[in-house]
Amino acid sequence: MKELLYKEFKLAIHPVFYVILLTTTLLLIPNWIFTVAMSYLLWVIVPNFFFAIAANNDTFFSVLMPVKKSDVVKSKIYTVIALELLNIIIAIPFAIANFMLYRGGLGMLEPNPAFFGFVLIMYALFNFLFIPGFYRTGYKMALPMTIAITGALLFALFIQLLPFISQQFNILFNLRTPESLMWQIGMLIVGIAVFIFLNSLTIKLSVERFEKLDL
Amino acid sequence: MPILKVDKINKKYEHFQLSDVSFKLEKGYIMGFIGENGAGKTTTLKAILNMIHIESGSVEVFGRDLKKDEQKIKENIGYMFGGIDFYPRKKLKLITSVIKRFYSNWDEAVYKHYMDKFRLDEEKRLHDLSHGMKVKYNLTLALSHNAKLMILDEPTTGLDPAARDGLMEIFQEIIEDGERSILFSTHIVSDLEKCADYITYINNGRIIDSSTREDFTDAYRLVRGSKKQLDVVKKELVSFKEDSFGFTGLAKMKSLSSLDSLQVERAGLEDIMIYYAKRGEK
Repeated sequence: MKELLYKEFKLAIHPVFYVILLTTTLLLIPNWIFTVAMSYLLWVIVPNFFFAIAANNDTFFSVLMPVKKSDVVKSKIYTVIALELLNIIIAIPFAIANFMLYRGGLGMLEPNPAFFGFVLIMYALFNFLFIPGFYRTGYKMALPMTIAITGALLFALFIQLLPFISQQFNILFNLRTPESLMWQIGMLIVGIAVFIFLNSLTIKLSVERFEKLDL
Repeated sequence: MPILKVDKINKKYEHFQLSDVSFKLEKGYIMGFIGENGAGKTTTLKAILNMIHIESGSVEVFGRDLKKDEQKIKENIGYMFGGIDFYPRKKLKLITSVIKRFYSNWDEAVYKHYMDKFRLDEEKRLHDLSHGMKVKYNLTLALSHNAKLMILDEPTTGLDPAARDGLMEIFQEIIEDGERSILFSTHIVSDLEKCADYITYINNGRIIDSSTREDFTDAYRLVRGSKKQLDVVKKELVSFKEDSFGFTGLAKMKSLSSLDSLQVERAGLEDIMIYYAKRGEK
């Protein structure tokens, strides 16, 4: 597996894409739609990663190497997950800076622990909608990519609107009180759980579909 | 024990099928896998590498079942598929650094030796290599992880005669030590005449014959005769062509006794391929 991961990062992901991860600096804008700051990864890096795979016969050659067929798929999914987690790790210092720079309660969802819980769910949803769809054919990606980006976007929109729709949501997840923080950490844990659950489903489905393909 | 044994492989597609494809390749030999375009050569090679799902049949490599020991088997297989490149815009250096990690028995000294011998420049991109150089790079990779079986799909297609001849010599050198075998598909008959020990001929998804090169051509004769004679022997022929003087056809050696009154001559590989292809058209 480590050889496959090495291959993904060395050949399929161009180093310039890491610059895109710096879009997380958008978390420094006061009272902004922060789910957008976390979405460039899904709009640029992940699609380009899969385009590179399809354009360079990656799958075809990977299965010729002495690896398990299922690992060929898993390494792709682990790569996406690694990029998503990396994006969150890079975003955290900017989220902290946001807290230190501005006072809260301006309306938009703050980049607090609950926010990152929601982002994890958004990423997991994207992976679930895109990757198994891609492995129906192993090369067609326009439709699954459109569905996944739309799905993640609608989820992000919903999260951004919630503080305006529900006072209760605002009290629980968007204040800077110790009590609210507890709820936010709870939401983060739920986010982590959903992320793990949905991604394991993504892996299972993708592997099953890939095993059925004739290359 | 054969290095490769393909046994009754069946695979159905909408407009094509492989039917009971069987043949074997012994250690230390080169087998040419011939057939017209679309006859099922690449599909068979893909089946050998477990890239497609066969409906029935089995593949054994080094005496191991492909389905059970796929990973272990692939440690010792080298391959190349004509026209399909792995990251063509990347430098060879980078591609090698990625690929070598997959093979526990990678030998850097062997790699350097063949890169020098074939005058391959690591700083070049795969895209910038000629087709012949790409084949050599693939062979270098295969030899560097000590592959015992090389599966090459159309390695000579698109090469000039001199490059083809050079490649055939390299094939001979590779199998010299008696430890390796090469299975390569082609539709260029002169390649086989230079170096193939065995020939397997596939036509419309079926193996017509798999034997040594001599036995393969010995099994057929070209026959000529008048139109009158044609009516009598038609059924015995693989297929035939008519012209203003009469006909020319391909017959199997074993059906020749009934064809004695005809003019008979040896058939070449190309004749055999052409007449079988003609049979398919009818």
